[in-house]
Amino acid sequence: MNIRYQQIQGRSLGFYALIAGLGVLILASLGSVLFMEHHGHYVTGMSNRIVWGMPHVFALFLIVAASGALNVASIASVFGKKIYKPLARLSGLVSLALLAGGLMVLVLDLGRPDRLIVAMTEYNFNSIFAWNIILYNGFFVIVAVYLWMMFERRMNKFTAKAGLAAFSWRLILTTGTGSIFGFLVARQAYDAVIMAPMFIIMSFAFGLAFFILILMASYKWTERPLGDVIVNRLGNLLGVFVAAVMYFVVVKHLGSLYLAENSGVESFILFGEHVYTPLFWIGQIVIGGLVPMALIYHPALKGNRSTLGLASILVLIGGIAQLYVIIVGGQAYPMEIFPGKEILEGYGGIATYTPSLPEIILGLGGVAVSLIAVTFLIKFLPFLPESLADDVADPHHKK
Amino acid sequence: MKHLLIIFLTLSLNSVFAYDGDKHVNLGDKATELKEEGRSRDIHPSLSEIRKMHPAFLMHKRDKTLRQGVRSKRNSLKQCVDCHSATKNDEYVPVNAPDQFCSTCHQKVGTSLDCFSCHRTTPEEDL
Amino acid sequence: MSKKLNRRDFIKSTGVATASVATIASGISLTTFAADENPVTNEKRWGMLIDTNKLTETNIDDMVFACQEENGWGFEEHSTGDQKANWIRKVKVKDKATGKIDALPMMCQHCDEPPCVDVCPTNASMKREDGIVLVDRHLCIGCRYCMMACPYDSRSFVHEDLSNQKEHMPRGKGTVESCTMCVHRVDKGEMPACAEAVNSDAVIFGDLYDANSKINRVLKKVQSTQIRADLNLNTGVRYSGI
Repeated sequence: MNIRYQQIQGRSLGFYALIAGLGVLILASLGSVLFMEHHGHYVTGMSNRIVWGMPHVFALFLIVAASGALNVASIASVFGKKIYKPLARLSGLVSLALLAGGLMVLVLDLGRPDRLIVAMTEYNFNSIFAWNIILYNGFFVIVAVYLWMMFERRMNKFTAKAGLAAFSWRLILTTGTGSIFGFLVARQAYDAVIMAPMFIIMSFAFGLAFFILILMASYKWTERPLGDVIVNRLGNLLGVFVAAVMYFVVVKHLGSLYLAENSGVESFILFGEHVYTPLFWIGQIVIGGLVPMALIYHPALKGNRSTLGLASILVLIGGIAQLYVIIVGGQAYPMEIFPGKEILEGYGGIATYTPSLPEIILGLGGVAVSLIAVTFLIKFLPFLPESLADDVADPHHKK
Repeated sequence: MKHLLIIFLTLSLNSVFAYDGDKHVNLGDKATELKEEGRSRDIHPSLSEIRKMHPAFLMHKRDKTLRQGVRSKRNSLKQCVDCHSATKNDEYVPVNAPDQFCSTCHQKVGTSLDCFSCHRTTPEEDL
Repeated sequence: MSKKLNRRDFIKSTGVATASVATIASGISLTTFAADENPVTNEKRWGMLIDTNKLTETNIDDMVFACQEENGWGFEEHSTGDQKANWIRKVKVKDKATGKIDALPMMCQHCDEPPCVDVCPTNASMKREDGIVLVDRHLCIGCRYCMMACPYDSRSFVHEDLSNQKEHMPRGKGTVESCTMCVHRVDKGEMPACAEAVNSDAVIFGDLYDANSKINRVLKKVQSTQIRADLNLNTGVRYSGI
């Protein structure tokens, strides 16, 4: 069965409105960067206690989602599921676009973004951050090659191999991202090896949610046929991934509660009086976990695209909440500098952090960069199959 | 490799742009004095060398000082600032201010001057 | 230094290596310090022993003040609260069982295995051969990963533009900084400013490896601790009395 790929026309009013809207957001985020870099970070909510704030939440969210968005392609070329094959090109594109957006936010929140060249020329191979720089750059190259293999007919025969390389690379990449936190021995909230696999499974869920939204929106807006077989498969998969994230969250917190040294930070997150507790229970567990699962699995809503779209959006919101709790919440709770002693003065207490508007806009700007990249590229290159109707996508589909 | 590249770029850029002639407008107080006494060659034996190579000298020196604790005065930025600062109304003018020693050239050749986002721009001593 | 640069001074200070011996008040030799042109070596390891029993809270405040004066931090105009630089501070702790209260100065502990150096992507966080942990601001991109990794919360991020820095202590917006053990003084054979601000028995500075140094001899006799010794970082700053 041959799948025909075709660029979108991209001449409608809606297309230009989308581009303009995203463009405004990107300009606003660049303005925020100029503002923050001109004044220095004192205009942000961050401090010496909360050194990574809202921009890092968005950056890591996008980077994590990026590696997950590649999964659809991997399922097709690594695990040989034919039905996902027509989606592989878009999967690679979404993945690269999300990574670009995430890295933009990460880089623009540096104290000295003008010295990015230093980060590319001076490597400390003991640093997980330095590995990540290599992993991110490598990901761009490998996925680009993978896409080329898919686009170029003569190279099609290498697609499976390139896909395997990209799949392995993305697993290492997310392990690296999770390890940024997992290896911080001094911080009770992070020092756990489970961070790496948890980040991998989070990436599955967030990446797929982004992918589903982009797929459904682009087919709806271009009025191309998109059959239920594919959509329902992706929906079910999302449900499984969301459940898996919840499982890892439970294991992480149970494991952490078991250690007396971590009981303080655990009760701070799980049963505390600060914003992190409602963010955890309502944002991450209910909005990002239970509700999407209900929307996906409830028999009455089965196959309903609006509810699947809503579920995907909720997964993303829950993901932002989860990363906020991990990154900001984990820093807000003081480190155990003097085990067995109570600190009366000079350190301790819950650090406060109120995200400033420029930080939030910078984060949203990263999302906008990802979306604008996808929008433009599907206009200029044939990423999307002309039709994903059931009989095209699934040869064995019975009418 | 990287150092070679830097030196190469510095050389090639500066041989194109290096400010020729000896009519520098704002040499700084001590440097002017030394020059009038005819002693500037004692400090910078070759003017073209220091003009072309000062980024490389400073880079080399900064690593030696910071990482190895070698605090000799030759090629130390402190010494540059010390001699090349000018005074105005009994106050030192920052060397990176417009029309001052560092900025005149750097502006002319359009290269950024990053030293003074951290380093002090005037000699420490009060006038 | 006189305003005129004397050529002979210039040559003397740059040319022939000169060695000298610095002696501190108590008559303990700080040992010969490296001549101008010689890099520091790992034959030394600078350290500090802080006896909290011999320090009053006022003493600790004096140490903090001396550091601020020496290095010029803490006078940021726009930064507020936790945004302000904080290289050394007074910490008061109470034992949960006995209720004993101790006050101590906290700063960079100059670890032998510094987590900040391990995590720094650009090698800006670094440890000199003689054990002093520094930030090379020329390479620092302001990612703040070192601040996440430091178990002692002893690093600060410069949140705003600075001017009028100390000549010997460059500092600037967007980079991370911390206690340098007054490396510019140590290289001249002097003591860190905080150690000089108080009684020489309360804060002993010196070469941990040198069997003749006061710090080495006292450490062999008295019970001392490293903060978060469980992390096995082998800190250069040691405490006794807590």
